[in-house]
Amino acid sequence: MEEKSNLNEKNIYNKSTKSKVRTSVIKSTLGTLLKNNKSKTGFIMLLSIITFSIIGIFYSPYNPNAYLFKIAQPPNSVNLLGTTGYGQDVFSELLRGAAPTLMIAFTVGLLGTLIAVLVGIFAGFTSKTTNAVINIFINIFLVIPGVLLIMLFGTYFMGIRQNLGYLPTIIILVITGWAFGARTFRSITLSIVKRDFVLSSILIGESKISIIVRQIMRAIMPIIVSNFFFTSMYGAMGLTFIEYLGVGNIQQVNWGTMLYWAINYEAYLTGTWWWILPPSIMISLLMFSLILLNFGLDEMANPSLRVFKKKKRDKNE
Amino acid sequence: MRIPIKYIIKKISLFFVVFMGAITVNFALPRMMPGNPAQVVYSQILRAGGSGVSPVYLNQLEVEYGLSKAPLYIQYFQYLDNLFHGNLGVSISYFPEPVSTILAQALPWTLFLVISSITISFFIGNHLGRYAGTNRNTGKDLAIDLFSMFMAAFPAFVLAFIILDIFAVYGNLFPIGGAYGISVNEGLNVPFILSVLYHAFLPALTIILISLGGWVLGMRNNIIPSLNSDFINYSENLGFKKYQIKSIAYRNAILPNMTGFAMSIGLSTSGVIIEESIFSYPGVGMYMINAINSLDYPLIQGIFLMVVIAVLIGNFAVDILYGFLDPRIRQEGD
Repeated sequence: MEEKSNLNEKNIYNKSTKSKVRTSVIKSTLGTLLKNNKSKTGFIMLLSIITFSIIGIFYSPYNPNAYLFKIAQPPNSVNLLGTTGYGQDVFSELLRGAAPTLMIAFTVGLLGTLIAVLVGIFAGFTSKTTNAVINIFINIFLVIPGVLLIMLFGTYFMGIRQNLGYLPTIIILVITGWAFGARTFRSITLSIVKRDFVLSSILIGESKISIIVRQIMRAIMPIIVSNFFFTSMYGAMGLTFIEYLGVGNIQQVNWGTMLYWAINYEAYLTGTWWWILPPSIMISLLMFSLILLNFGLDEMANPSLRVFKKKKRDKNE
Repeated sequence: MRIPIKYIIKKISLFFVVFMGAITVNFALPRMMPGNPAQVVYSQILRAGGSGVSPVYLNQLEVEYGLSKAPLYIQYFQYLDNLFHGNLGVSISYFPEPVSTILAQALPWTLFLVISSITISFFIGNHLGRYAGTNRNTGKDLAIDLFSMFMAAFPAFVLAFIILDIFAVYGNLFPIGGAYGISVNEGLNVPFILSVLYHAFLPALTIILISLGGWVLGMRNNIIPSLNSDFINYSENLGFKKYQIKSIAYRNAILPNMTGFAMSIGLSTSGVIIEESIFSYPGVGMYMINAINSLDYPLIQGIFLMVVIAVLIGNFAVDILYGFLDPRIRQEGD
């Protein structure tokens, strides 16, 4: 027994040191991010949106699906943001719809980035022919307009006529959203592989996986994070497109379906701005926070964009 | 100038392979559909009043949708054969119009809208970005950055609805839909051209506003390192004037955006498809949305193919042009 627990301890020890190294990379990325004013603003915005969505999971003033009120009421003390053209409470819908929207955005961001990193690094690391084949494959997905693929896959998923929840939406968005990142990672890996520190690791006899994880992944960490933000933005925007086109699941409550119903009701013509603007603004805020975070990352990866006030003044004079 | 033959050959082969890939996606998708789409399409045509269709046509549909018992590769060659004869099937929602006729009507409008709006957006965006980058860390820079970020973040179709609402519905300044007025004659005359521009204004404005952000931020982030680089210091010391230095930095900073231009053709086409349906602009986008709403598979497939081909040609043209402009790109092909 004692021996076993000893072994376990050893394993745990090893694991914890490994994860420590990894968290320190993430921590340093985050740390530098938060020193930048733009990304700090973005981070705070994102945190508040996430808090908003967590509140929405547990609480909403009214049932967002129930038709409880008079239709198309402007904002008042009972309905903070008025009611929809069907008599639902807009604020409750906004609150309840936050979590699924964020979930889809970040799931698409995570899966899309994962595929992009795997494909991109693999392409940068293999033989020339495999690399070329993967390059062509990436290009096919880049060239075909995303909306067309969304429509095509969407109509076919609609043809299946089964309630799969958000799964089809996520699948479609990941399929259409991974290629941009894969292209970036491929070209970056190709340039990193040629550098001396990778060559020395190869000569020392480090395994390929270890080189990929320890050398390459760490070197491109800011770009991976940035790609995650970009793909998440694509996920949020893509969700609204899918719902707007009506090829998603329009019965569920999220910010995309809110827009779908508002537009379907022609809210923009009947002047019910309190219905169409809140979800649009929330989506914009989400995108805005991610763009701001990316701005900070850009300045991290490209130091010449950073502000060096004193130096600049010297130069001007 | 040395003609970059290797580069062109590489691009042509890439073009061809991607084209074949897109065709194959188009071939494969209906075959993954559950049920019997040919039967669905056939009964829809009958319901739409297609009295002329016979069971022979059902047979043909079954071949098109891969329901024939023939092996897959034979179906594939049949599909290719149909394709190269321009036979894209018959639309359901616009029965009995063949898909190719609809496309021939719609494609010119879409091309016009895409090409004009992304060119204008590229031009304005780069100049705004240049202005922001050269005045960086000032109020102007921040204002331009925030504006373009906000535009990039706002849901495109909501923006389109708001613009339509303000300018066309309440403002009555612009038409609500269509590509040209009823009173003008089609052809190369001044009233027709004016009418076309007048009708294209709002959709183009929306697309320009949406796609502006990428160019602005890209240019800003390119021109700042460019302004700090050695060749700019050198030119400064040589005594070049300020505006000359800005234009030198600009010319170098625009190269990455040029690559982006080729790739953005596909992206912009996505936006255009959405905008067209909102502004009732008779391009492929409007037909695409209608086709989806009525599950008109032949039309969906035909539009998919057409748009992919158009985007590919656009990409190809920009790539080739770019190969002549930037010697470093040419060498990448060697």
